[in-house]
Amino acid sequence: MEKPKLATDWLADCAGCHMSLLDIDERIVALLEKATLTSSPITDLKHPPETGVELGVLSGACGNTSNVAVARMMRKRCGKLLALGDCAVFGGILSLRNGFDMKEALSRAYIESESTVDGFIPDSEELAKPIRNRPLDQVVEVDAYLPGCPPSADAIFETLVALVEGREPPVEGELLKYD
Amino acid sequence: MSTVNITINGKPLTVPAGITVLEAAKLAGVEIPTLCHHPALEHVGACRLCVVEVDNQPALQPSCSYPVFEDMHVQTESERVMDMRRFVLELLFSERNHYCMFCEMSGDCELQTQAYNHGLVNWPYPAPHPRYPVDASRQYFLMDHNRCILCRRCIRACGDIVANHTIGVHSRGSRTMITADMDAPFGDSTCVECGTCLQVCPTGALVDRKSAYMGRRKDVTFASSTCSFCSVGCRTLVATRNERPLRVEGDWDGHNTGVLCIVGRFHSLDEKRNRLATPMIRKSGTLSPATWDEALDYIAKAVKASPKEKAKAWVTGKALNETLDAAISAFKDKAGVEVRSLEPLPQGGPLPNGGKMADIDQADRIFIIDVDLLADHRVMGYRIRRCREREAAIILCCDSDNSMVQYATARYPLAKLDDALKECRPDEKVFVVYRADLPAAIREKLEALKDKATLMPLYNAANLARSMSLGLKHGAEVQECQVAYVLARDLALSQEQRTSIRKSAFVVLHGCYDDAADIADVVLPAPVWFEEEGALINAEGIESPVRAAAPMPEGIRAETSVLQDLAARL
Repeated sequence: MEKPKLATDWLADCAGCHMSLLDIDERIVALLEKATLTSSPITDLKHPPETGVELGVLSGACGNTSNVAVARMMRKRCGKLLALGDCAVFGGILSLRNGFDMKEALSRAYIESESTVDGFIPDSEELAKPIRNRPLDQVVEVDAYLPGCPPSADAIFETLVALVEGREPPVEGELLKYD
Repeated sequence: MSTVNITINGKPLTVPAGITVLEAAKLAGVEIPTLCHHPALEHVGACRLCVVEVDNQPALQPSCSYPVFEDMHVQTESERVMDMRRFVLELLFSERNHYCMFCEMSGDCELQTQAYNHGLVNWPYPAPHPRYPVDASRQYFLMDHNRCILCRRCIRACGDIVANHTIGVHSRGSRTMITADMDAPFGDSTCVECGTCLQVCPTGALVDRKSAYMGRRKDVTFASSTCSFCSVGCRTLVATRNERPLRVEGDWDGHNTGVLCIVGRFHSLDEKRNRLATPMIRKSGTLSPATWDEALDYIAKAVKASPKEKAKAWVTGKALNETLDAAISAFKDKAGVEVRSLEPLPQGGPLPNGGKMADIDQADRIFIIDVDLLADHRVMGYRIRRCREREAAIILCCDSDNSMVQYATARYPLAKLDDALKECRPDEKVFVVYRADLPAAIREKLEALKDKATLMPLYNAANLARSMSLGLKHGAEVQECQVAYVLARDLALSQEQRTSIRKSAFVVLHGCYDDAADIADVVLPAPVWFEEEGALINAEGIESPVRAAAPMPEGIRAETSVLQDLAARL
């Protein structure tokens, strides 16, 4: 029987969760003996095949329309979806922006900030539009959660292996943290 | 004492009647999680985390406030209870903005700990995320309403422990907000920044500015010490990391029961003056650095050259027991030079004393005689005004303005003290707190009360009780001498004191800061309060330990060591 397929992607993200994933170091060999990694933002193929994968991992929050589109695409193509890290699970640091009027926030970032000269708010049609920041499960159905900012390499390894083997991830004790 | 028989999780127990299920569980060694509960505060049953099943009743009961009854059967960990506790936590996280990754309390937050203990990996109820205000209007600590869980510990602390009654709530349901007075910014309210609310807050809603992000409780060490900023002598725990004191906490086990005031908790670490780093000798008008040997030799020479009666040493009442002893040993015993107190001291015999802070809690009648408690001995003021709730009689006897006026049930001028004392009923527990340097005539009247009342004298400085017991005198002002040795520690000398001291021919200033260095011929640097080891006498007349929270900087020596070294040369 073929190994289950695993794909990861990131949304509104600092990349810390993927760095923590890389911190599993040589355990990546053990992981890849159990699953095939089809794609990730840090490998050459970025998106899972249209035929789908068994396990999808998403880090980062949904802070703009592009994030929502990617989240929906992953939901469609992944049997089970894991929200990785505080941004995907809770909304994370980006949610600080929710307390402010969107126009105010954009103006502050692109025009008023002290290091900006001749600023303007980009409005190209090709750009995603910012939205109220939200965690992944307010956009698509999520099957598993691993909080942490970032979650530790141990927590990520144990969780991925458990999910790939069809078990409940052991997110408790030392592996469970919100910071 | 009557008892009842109950079972907890099937285990039979006999416990005192009238206690709560939470207290009974503790006796049985059963842990029940809580959030709004605090050992120093009355229970309110606000958080509902401590719910338990009682006798298959349809509703779960909060164990913190539910009293035990005969033949009661309690389940603390049934599936119903565990589901409900998780639900309570999920609801708490569904309101406001609880983001651990940038919160300074993460790692020490009771809400977070309970969420970890209950295995919460996500928030099932989408949070609407309105932004709640952050009130940074107070000088020393701020309130972030985004992190508040409305446990009401701050309200109870402000009302029941210090009786300031600043904090309350406005509005209802999900709009409920902790508020100061009539919804004023805390910095503009009746808040006195005693920090008791800060000490009891379970989350990062109340944050101490100076120590924020400086380390978790497991990263810091605590030095168990005594505050030296007034003669109450509150017990403190000084949190330190990498030899830097971060903040001062009140010790719940001290006679102050965890309470401090803005002076001991915050002003004590908010020093703006420049520290003296090295001994200095004035040469051709300017102070230049010298070694300890050079400075002490120079001082000894001056003392020996002076007729004994024209030399004097002045020691502040803030000095530790050990320092006072060493000063007497060096000056009086070795050199025959008189040692005096910088602050006024009562003269005459021992003062009526023996009163304990705990006596206040039981007293039916409390006399406050010529002390301005909420200005000079705040923690005492807080402790006494609490008694208004019990309708104790609080009798204020003074002639000048007094901060306790609004809490007193009766007021008498000092001349009418006899009338005030006559109001005492037999069988009343009476507590008397009085200014130590009252005129002898008034003190005699208090002596007469010794069988009927407990008495507590309060002094102008932390350790004047000790200065007094050592027989130190105080003149009307620092007199003109040939040699004046002034051990001032961190005292800020007044203009009158400075002018007075400067009249002497040769002045030695032994202290922490350089604000008065301009009047000195020799300057000796002293350790700051959190660098010293020794003891003080507190308001109960008991020796209270002072422990160093940080080492002395290179070049600074303990006062006792300096005085002993000087004695050797005299």
